[in-house]
Amino acid sequence: MAKVTFVTTDGTEVSISDANGSLMEIATANGVDEIEGACGGVCACCTCHVKIRPEWLGKVGKAEEAEQDMLDEEDGTDERSRLGCQVELTDDLDGLVVDVVPL
Amino acid sequence: MPECPYRDPFKEARRKSPVLETEFDGEPVAMLVGHKAVRTAARDHATFSSDAPFRVPIPREEDVRTVRQYPLEVDPPVHAEYRRLIDPFFRRPLEPAYVQRIENLIEELLVDALKRDSIEIVRQFAIPLQSRALTYLLNMPESEAEIWITWGTHVFRDESGVSKGAEMEAYTNSLFDQAESDPGDDFFSALVKARFDGRPLTREEMQGYANIAFAGGRDTIINSVATAFGLLADQPSALIAMRANPKLIITASEELFRFASPVTHLARICPVDTSVHGVDVPAGNLVSLNWAAANFDDSVFDDPEQFQIDRKPNPHIAFGKGVHNCPGAAHARVIIRGLFKKLTEMISAITIVSERRKVEKEADYERVNAYHELTVKLESSASSPDCK
Ligand code: HEM
Ligand code: FES
Repeated sequence: MAKVTFVTTDGTEVSISDANGSLMEIATANGVDEIEGACGGVCACCTCHVKIRPEWLGKVGKAEEAEQDMLDEEDGTDERSRLGCQVELTDDLDGLVVDVVPL
Repeated sequence: MPECPYRDPFKEARRKSPVLETEFDGEPVAMLVGHKAVRTAARDHATFSSDAPFRVPIPREEDVRTVRQYPLEVDPPVHAEYRRLIDPFFRRPLEPAYVQRIENLIEELLVDALKRDSIEIVRQFAIPLQSRALTYLLNMPESEAEIWITWGTHVFRDESGVSKGAEMEAYTNSLFDQAESDPGDDFFSALVKARFDGRPLTREEMQGYANIAFAGGRDTIINSVATAFGLLADQPSALIAMRANPKLIITASEELFRFASPVTHLARICPVDTSVHGVDVPAGNLVSLNWAAANFDDSVFDDPEQFQIDRKPNPHIAFGKGVHNCPGAAHARVIIRGLFKKLTEMISAITIVSERRKVEKEADYERVNAYHELTVKLESSASSPDCK
């Protein structure tokens, strides 16, 4: 159980405490705008794109190959980009802040 | 029962090269068969253009329709404006009430199916499901589906050999007439009211949107539904596993789309002479993006010929990739997830009585894609018969 904050494009912060699961699952369960999770978390849609705040990048870690391939082909991705469905919110990530990328 | 693996017809070709030189309609086609090659080409619209009326589908469709399909057969930048006009309809499946409505429909069809000794899935289940579900997407009265059901599995190329293309165009034209005199909240009225860069759509553009909504949204869903029944009959363990762990319904649905890959391939045209992985494609010739072949690329998918309901990650491109990616995907997902959910709740076993596979026989390959006919027996999971 950990806390995570999603910052949407209009600057709204949505914080969820005691969350678990992937960032996509947490965001969709809590109605965070612009995170759709269309494929349900199998790396087939990119509708869960988030950017990790720089201070968290080390702890969150890098994308695996299938995820990186998807990100490489999306517009507007950079080295902070991850697919929310591939990031599990573990206790080490308590306090994590991510920016939501518009669909 | 042995689990029968599907045989990927593009395996040998893909080992040799990401591009298979083949032909359709008597013309050469450079067919991309590797996952990366297809993905990359789908995003490169300058080199591989969709600005090719009647030619994005293969074989070409001048003989079965008179209008360019929108937004399929246009390139960026105008594509975005064409696409924007229909997005609100394609987002309807994200509403919980929509999901519920689809699940209720599937339940009704399964209750009816259980009353029969056996059921022919394509005509008695998949076509009614597809047609009635499409009325929800397009926000039309459900009774309209009775007309659509008569169009067969593929509006243009049903196995009967009779194209319903002209009949469908006359029908959609009458829907636009009606929408102009008495607009409602349906898809056709929305197109009548729409403004493209400030101007109304022409009737031809409206017809082009209607054409793909009916043609593209049809055999894809019908084939996915029939393939789902066929696979669960061959692999009873999958139904049992989903029943024990409903989270698998999501991954199983994506695996179904990968495995079935209902749209085998679509074309792009090269506006200038282009070398495609070493194959020379002269200006005006076609390149095929083979989604089905890409979805069995073993550099991306382990054991691709196995249907694995817990496959994750599963970066399949059954719905395409890039700006033209399928807007109907959300609707398709709601249908297949709903089908798996209701099957786990209501059905304990599916047994095939008879089947006739549909085979795409082309110059350089034969691909089994879904069924002409699939008759199954369904066993209810209720322990005692319904005694209402
Ligand atoms: C399992 C079901 C389906 C599959 C596998 C599928 C597959 C595809 C694919 C591969 C494309 C990409 C086209 C390209 O890149 O040239 C596409 C586009 C499209 N599909 Fe689907 N489709 C499905 C269901 C539907 C449904 C239900 C509808 C509508 C009722 C629909 C309407 C469209 C439209 C309008 C486009 C063109 C989008 C654009 O060009 O921006 N599809 N589909
Ligand atoms: S939910 Fe589809 S890629 Fe993350």
